[in-house]
Amino acid sequence: MSIHGIDRGKIVKRISNALLVLSLWPLVLLAQDRALVGTGNGGQLWNELKGEKLQALGLKGDVARGEEAFKICQGCHRRGATGSVSGAYPRLAGQHATVLIEQIADIRSGNRQNPKMEPFAEEHVLTTQEIADIAVYLQALPIPPNLGKGPGTALDRGSELYAKDCATCHGNKGEGNAEKFFPMVAGQHFKYLLREAHFIRDGNRGNANPDMVKVIKAYGNEDIEAVADYISRLAPP
Amino acid sequence: MPSDYHSADRNVLPGACHSSIRFQVAAMLGLLIGGPALAGDADKARGIVAEVCSACHGMDGNSVIPNFPKLAGRHPEYLVRELKEFVSGTRKSAVMTPIAAKLDPDDFKALGEYFGAQKPTSGQVLDQKAAASGMKLYQDGDEERGVPSCAGCHSSDGAGSKRFPRLAGQHREYLIEQMYNFRNDVRNYGAARLMREVAKRLSEDEIKAVAEYLTGL
Repeated sequence: MSIHGIDRGKIVKRISNALLVLSLWPLVLLAQDRALVGTGNGGQLWNELKGEKLQALGLKGDVARGEEAFKICQGCHRRGATGSVSGAYPRLAGQHATVLIEQIADIRSGNRQNPKMEPFAEEHVLTTQEIADIAVYLQALPIPPNLGKGPGTALDRGSELYAKDCATCHGNKGEGNAEKFFPMVAGQHFKYLLREAHFIRDGNRGNANPDMVKVIKAYGNEDIEAVADYISRLAPP
Repeated sequence: MPSDYHSADRNVLPGACHSSIRFQVAAMLGLLIGGPALAGDADKARGIVAEVCSACHGMDGNSVIPNFPKLAGRHPEYLVRELKEFVSGTRKSAVMTPIAAKLDPDDFKALGEYFGAQKPTSGQVLDQKAAASGMKLYQDGDEERGVPSCAGCHSSDGAGSKRFPRLAGQHREYLIEQMYNFRNDVRNYGAARLMREVAKRLSEDEIKAVAEYLTGL
């Protein structure tokens, strides 16, 4: 009797796993569609969905396990993933899980250039399952107030640039787009936005979206500062 | 484990309800069998400690010899992991490898629980200035150089957890030695590899300072 019980349990588990993978598949296909749009630095496809990234996206993340796994990250990203006003570390709380998986996998593979973080994201430290766990944990975290903002001297210019160049992808309120791997930028630390925008413009990020590179190429330092300041003040959803 | 739990809970197939109850009974039995060590195990562990461990680590796990670590208050799961790593050779120690190899792995859990239950003592800070700068590094890290705060994993009070060892009150000499073991690739397996990076990003003086701070916790 008990043997039958265990067998049924296994069947239930297999079926539910299969259903889970199937339910995620449209997301993966959609994202693949998007990923083939253009090539980034060094002829690499932007956000090419293969290997570990694809694997992590198909795994079911667990918030409790993610909280435990995130301990390795919170030495830098802080408890509650608030990041740092200095811009050294981004806020991750509330970020889309898909974006987080993409970025962690890219840093790990070296596709995104981040020598500071890479040793802490290598496979001896973090399993693929833990990447998925951390992503759902962070996505569910409340977004903390009092984040780093800019000087507030060119907000009109920032607003104008954002509406013209950024809102199409990152959303009117900076909410981003989980399915298309566009990060939520609202309420991100000003200095972090500044740093990454410079990296993306100057070809130092590695995994920049080529569409964004095209747009930001024309930006002067003051334009970048204005739009980063504006974004840092957008209220996260 | 959690995914087993969820699937048993979903009741998709007829009869899954019964299997859920069976699952819970099995889980409870598992807890009874694999749960906290029984009184007999505790006595046995005390005997092993007296015979094998106490000469270096002290009967209460508060070693008084600087190059032997204090084990009192260390999380049982972490201690079990360490013993297994000494046996498998992933963690290298000329002293501990042969000792751990002679122990019965079935006793590891009881030994972990024995040391985990001992009250840890603090050491004495000898260099207040170093301890103060060590505290800053331990609690905040250094953003500029990408040094994580140690507290992120080892917790603010240095108590550690099942995944990360307790550091509070540990001998400064032992802490410094381990940091060099990380830096020089002696301890380079699994998640410990991230400590190599941390140790490399710290100067000799900074390693000493953090150790000085931790000794006094």
